[in-house]
Amino acid sequence: MAIDFGYSVSQPRAVDLDRNDLSLAREIVREMPEFSACIACGGCTATCTAGNLTSFNFRLVQTLVRRGEYAGAYAEMNKCMLCGKCRLVCPRGINTRGVVRLIKRKLGDY
Amino acid sequence: MEIISFYSGFVIPFLVGVSVLFAVVVYKFGRWFVRLPVEDRRLVRKNFFSRATVRALGECFMECLLHRKIWKVNPTLGYMHTAFAFGWFLLIVVGWVETVAYLGWRFVPLQGHIFFKFFTGGEHHWLVMDILLWYVLSGLVLAVYKRFRSRTLGMRRTTKLTFGDRVALSSLWFIFPLRLLAENFSGVMAFWWGYSIALGIFFVAMPFSRYMHIFTEVPLIFLRRWGIRSGERESSFDHFQLEACSRCGICIDPCQLQRDAGFRDVQSAYFIRDRRYNRLTRRVADNCLMCGRCEGRCPVGLQLDTLRLNSRHTLSGTPADGRFEYARKITNNPVISNECEKSTGQTVIASENEAICSNSQSSSSHPLGGRGETKNSQLSTPRIGFFGGCMTLLSPRILQSMEQIFAASGDDVWWADRNGGICCGRPLKLSGDIDAARDMMQMNTQLFEAQGITTLVTSCPICLRVFREDYRLEGIEVLHHSEYIARLIAEGCLSLRDSDEKMTYHDPCELGRGCGIYDAPRQVLASVGELVEPAETRSEALCCGSSLANFVVDDASQVAMARAVGAAFEATGAARVVTACPLCKKAIGRTSSLPTLDLAEVVAEKLNND
Repeated sequence: MAIDFGYSVSQPRAVDLDRNDLSLAREIVREMPEFSACIACGGCTATCTAGNLTSFNFRLVQTLVRRGEYAGAYAEMNKCMLCGKCRLVCPRGINTRGVVRLIKRKLGDY
Repeated sequence: MEIISFYSGFVIPFLVGVSVLFAVVVYKFGRWFVRLPVEDRRLVRKNFFSRATVRALGECFMECLLHRKIWKVNPTLGYMHTAFAFGWFLLIVVGWVETVAYLGWRFVPLQGHIFFKFFTGGEHHWLVMDILLWYVLSGLVLAVYKRFRSRTLGMRRTTKLTFGDRVALSSLWFIFPLRLLAENFSGVMAFWWGYSIALGIFFVAMPFSRYMHIFTEVPLIFLRRWGIRSGERESSFDHFQLEACSRCGICIDPCQLQRDAGFRDVQSAYFIRDRRYNRLTRRVADNCLMCGRCEGRCPVGLQLDTLRLNSRHTLSGTPADGRFEYARKITNNPVISNECEKSTGQTVIASENEAICSNSQSSSSHPLGGRGETKNSQLSTPRIGFFGGCMTLLSPRILQSMEQIFAASGDDVWWADRNGGICCGRPLKLSGDIDAARDMMQMNTQLFEAQGITTLVTSCPICLRVFREDYRLEGIEVLHHSEYIARLIAEGCLSLRDSDEKMTYHDPCELGRGCGIYDAPRQVLASVGELVEPAETRSEALCCGSSLANFVVDDASQVAMARAVGAAFEATGAARVVTACPLCKKAIGRTSSLPTLDLAEVVAEKLNND
């Protein structure tokens, strides 16, 4: 019987890029090439207004989307208030709000 | 008097043209009127027999015929438009009088008026008609010249034409020279045929080209006078605005996306063109700073920003989906906020770093926080709520300065969002997600009302505008911090050191053109230094280029626009640039060689701390 220590170990997780459908991710990068300039520094997430109130991690979601892991990404992106702080802190000058809307449009079919 | 036959073969193109024009215009107007929302039609019924109708008539004369607003922007252009509109109008009216004077009161078919000289064999002639024709021709010369050398008429760029525009424009250019030839060489049938064909082609092309504005501006003026406006969702009234745009191109030159960032097809004239012909793309709709510089100059007075917003709603609005429920549990729960006040009820003025740390670390346990309370938390009137907004939260120096100002004022302040508030909702509104924006507005409203504040002060013009335009804050006065500080100074609550330091002021779009606040920040600046104005200022002020309304431009374009703005400030010889918007501060400060500060920072710096 497992003992509850109050914390757990993350299960190893492999992302199989061959099995994932990357067509949407490629489309997104094609429409906003600056998206691929992201260095995943996490500045966007650290400064996020929504992330301050709930579990919302822009860096995580955009990384997952680029890997073709779209499940739940639309609902996550829906938490964004488009306030634009992330764009101001982005060291790569990425139009983050544009990325949010693009991902929503591609995944939510709007 | 002899009986004149008002028929000849050459009048057919003209008659066909007039019939098509009449049918299409009646069809279009009829359809738009019928589809007007119920409340709009109610406004029409209510205000039809009122002074508004008389005023509308006057406005039609001043704008549709004399083009008063174009004269104000550019007199040469004004002359050109007036020569065409008023000159042609007078030709028709005086021509009708001439016919009556010659033939008496009797029915004369339309072509009898238009080709009067032909049917009377040129034996009757008024000099005034010749003068009027030459008046129109003088406008035509300017128009042709402008097409090829727009700069000489004070327009750096003129509008690109659609196919329908080209057809209409070409035939329009031929109408008056052919009329001159036909009337002076009355025997040459080719000139009469040419004149009639040019008129016919123009009339057929008219309702499908930009020249539809000639007719559409009239109902637009009446409907507007009766109180109808475009709103956040598309409605039938929008058609009147779209087709009243003459694509004169006056909106193109002021656009900074055009002059500094090289976007040549997103300006209001093109946006309206694309929407009118059902080929609007998101890229065009979303690529606008909504700075309002073009709207201020539009000679037809179109609601350019509103039209763009409701297009965004149609093109890319997404369902609200209850997506901000996570925020509701915080803003909606007075228990949490009371607990916070109890736990941190004493006077705490957090330092800049502390403010940020508490922001990121303790937000879940102290979502609202009473950390910034400068006095005890007992409700007493008046009570001020300070809403920094997302952008201010990124500018701790502004927060710190406001702390000092509030401390000096002695006011009882509740910090609405320093320890984790939500966005004001304006960015979502600008994106077209108006339902989601409403949710957010409702949550903030509940939050403000629960706190029992009497005054809401914000240092962010973006928030200010949405508070004033969209929120229903009963009994709460909404102030920009520039107004609040100006009031404190006027009441003698702040003691400031005056200096002779030269400062220039940047009018944020949302504060100036958006909320009409130009004087308060200038009054404040005048009491701490010497104000020098840039070349384009107040309602003509430039946008910083980083507007939240634009979802398309990349970093390089933003920098290019900011550089241009920065150069304008450097030219003033000022030592510092002062603005009243945290976003403008960051945008201009990125490239400017001058230190860029918020108004609050300058004031806090000059506070007498005794």
